[in-house]
Amino acid sequence: MIRRAAIVLAVALFGLVFANLAAHYAERQSLLPLAKRYVELVPRDLGAANVITGILLTYRAFDTLGEVAVLFMVAAGVGLVLAARGRRNESSPGEAPEPPRPASEIVQTGAQMLVPLIAIFAAYIIMNGHLSAGGGFQGGAVIASSVILLLLADPHRRLDLDFLSYTESVAGVLFVLVGVAGMIVAGGFLDNRVLPVGQFGAFFSAGAIPVLSILLGIKVGCELSVIIDRFRPELSTERGSQ
Amino acid sequence: MAELIGSFLVLAGAVFHFSAGLGMLRMPDAYTRMQAGTKASTLGNTLVLAGLAFYHPSWTLKLVILICFVLMTNPVSSHALARAAYRIRISMTPQTVVDALRDAPERIRGRS
Amino acid sequence: MISTVVLSTGLALILIGVWGMLTHRNILRIVIGFSLMGTGTHIFIVAIGYVANGTAPIMDRALSVAEAPARAVDPIPSALVVTAIVIGLAVTAIMLAYAIRLYDSKKTLSIDAFTESKW
Repeated sequence: MIRRAAIVLAVALFGLVFANLAAHYAERQSLLPLAKRYVELVPRDLGAANVITGILLTYRAFDTLGEVAVLFMVAAGVGLVLAARGRRNESSPGEAPEPPRPASEIVQTGAQMLVPLIAIFAAYIIMNGHLSAGGGFQGGAVIASSVILLLLADPHRRLDLDFLSYTESVAGVLFVLVGVAGMIVAGGFLDNRVLPVGQFGAFFSAGAIPVLSILLGIKVGCELSVIIDRFRPELSTERGSQ
Repeated sequence: MAELIGSFLVLAGAVFHFSAGLGMLRMPDAYTRMQAGTKASTLGNTLVLAGLAFYHPSWTLKLVILICFVLMTNPVSSHALARAAYRIRISMTPQTVVDALRDAPERIRGRS
Repeated sequence: MISTVVLSTGLALILIGVWGMLTHRNILRIVIGFSLMGTGTHIFIVAIGYVANGTAPIMDRALSVAEAPARAVDPIPSALVVTAIVIGLAVTAIMLAYAIRLYDSKKTLSIDAFTESKW
């Protein structure tokens, strides 16, 4: 009773604060000076048509590098928290978990049709980071969703975790190397002018931003696939990866 | 005129989406909720995208491809969810008359 | 007008998420409430950056380079939200891993079974 009253009171107080926020909100009529400067600088200096990707991968690229580090820590953390699970299940007697049942035919056929399409879509999103809405993070998440579909369609499939870890580490190292090259050749760390800026709106333009998008997409995709693979139950039968 | 037809189709799609939401609230158990959510919302998606094709005739091919994608993915995912729910033995409402999967031959059912 | 509607939707989602986190006893529903709260916050942040009669800050056929500073929407909140979404995913993954371990220890998903952990 007290708990329910306290919950209602907490939500009502939040609601009061939010109503105050919403009531005093007036739409802006023009951009803030910093935003206006970004919107002018990105197409002129970086040659990227997508201002947000230009900000994320050049002007605030250090934050993106920190984000990549956060993802890596999450993969390590989930592995640490769930690592003790397999050993405990073996040591404690009791009912063994049921082996995963093969997926039904509809899901298998659907996965066969959809996984190539999802992979093509993910590549399109990654490559379009500097031209239209898209980018490395978004494409990496779509790649991970195709991996989920693969795992759902074939529960006995083992992902090659060594290959995924190796690939994501190489992608991360290359990301930092491109940044260091920016320090040596161009203006600063992760400056995108190490590669020619090119013609505005062309496919190969905006300097190093497509390269950084690809590396980011590969790293995020591998990272999320490893995280998802950790959530699966321990497979008792040993079958090699395909 | 084309805009009128497009608006009518989008409105019909919105009505179906609303009925999907209403069905998910009011249905008695998990399986009927999944059925209401999937069928009505897939049809709602199709109608909204078709109505949009009347507003922007140059997008028609892309919208048809989108409708094909929705028709490919939505039912498959709902089927996978329903099979998973059946396997972990979520209970059916007592008004159930037929349990087709329990009476199905073994090769269709797998092990469950 | 548009941004006020979107803003209010974001704030309503935050309220629903907070209520869900406080009311439910099932761990997975608490995680869903947390995720809803995060989504509401992202919507709110993006809605703040709206400029009246503005369009997306992407220069294609709809928005030329010359008129962009006058008509584009603020790109900085969108860039912040891209980062925030990834962080939200990371926190949700850790919470779900904890939920799995809690279930392994007590074989139930209700947090009422874990009250003895308090000192």
